[in-house]
Amino acid sequence: MERRNFLSMGVVAAAAILVPVTDLKAVNFRETKPKAWEAEKSADAIKALFGDGALTPTDKIKMVAPKLAENGGSIPISLKSDLDIETLAFFQDANPRSATVVFTVPEGQKVNYSFRIKMRQTAYVTVVAKTKDGKLHTLTKEIDVSIGGCGG
Amino acid sequence: MAKKMKIKAKEKDGVVKVKAMFTSLMADKEEAEKKNIKPEFITYIVGKVNDKVVFEATTSGFMAENPLVKFSFTGAKKGDELVFVLTDNHGKTQTGKKKIK
Repeated sequence: MERRNFLSMGVVAAAAILVPVTDLKAVNFRETKPKAWEAEKSADAIKALFGDGALTPTDKIKMVAPKLAENGGSIPISLKSDLDIETLAFFQDANPRSATVVFTVPEGQKVNYSFRIKMRQTAYVTVVAKTKDGKLHTLTKEIDVSIGGCGG
Repeated sequence: MAKKMKIKAKEKDGVVKVKAMFTSLMADKEEAEKKNIKPEFITYIVGKVNDKVVFEATTSGFMAENPLVKFSFTGAKKGDELVFVLTDNHGKTQTGKKKIK
């Protein structure tokens, strides 16, 4: 092989490696997994988003959520974990569609998120975390909603 | 999504704590019908420091109105600029910047 050709091949290969890395860091799940956002039940949404992998209950993820939410329009949730999580998804069964928020955890960062959700009735919320080794961890909690949320 | 977003970022011992509030009705289809408005919600939030992604979330209309998110990350120092880019369901984007204190 000619040296010139060989060199240019190296450049192409390097570019090919570089491009997917930058792409990987920005995943809009609404574009890549549109089905997951239409699913009504948490179980279906989880399947659409993560596939058929087995879910293992875990206590390594800490979820802070009120047991009884007075205002269904704004329920504070906070999630914390020391696991090497790649993707963290949050589902609830109270609303017409289940998927609420999906975080892509940047490389080397730990999970420490707080946010607020709407729930129009008492229901279970489910957190699914995909770790770097491809395992799925899950955590479920029931939240009582006393006043109808979702703009009601 | 016309109004500004509020961002607070503080660095301490290498960990940057961020509080960010985005202005959006977060009205999904059913709620928009009830209120007689067009559906409007943020679908995608990405936060970057020095072109490195530090926060990334795909959201739906079931986040509460004017979503407030809190998170922390490592690997940035004081004076670095934190940039948030939001995308809503109409495909509009909005950018907000804040220097880390």
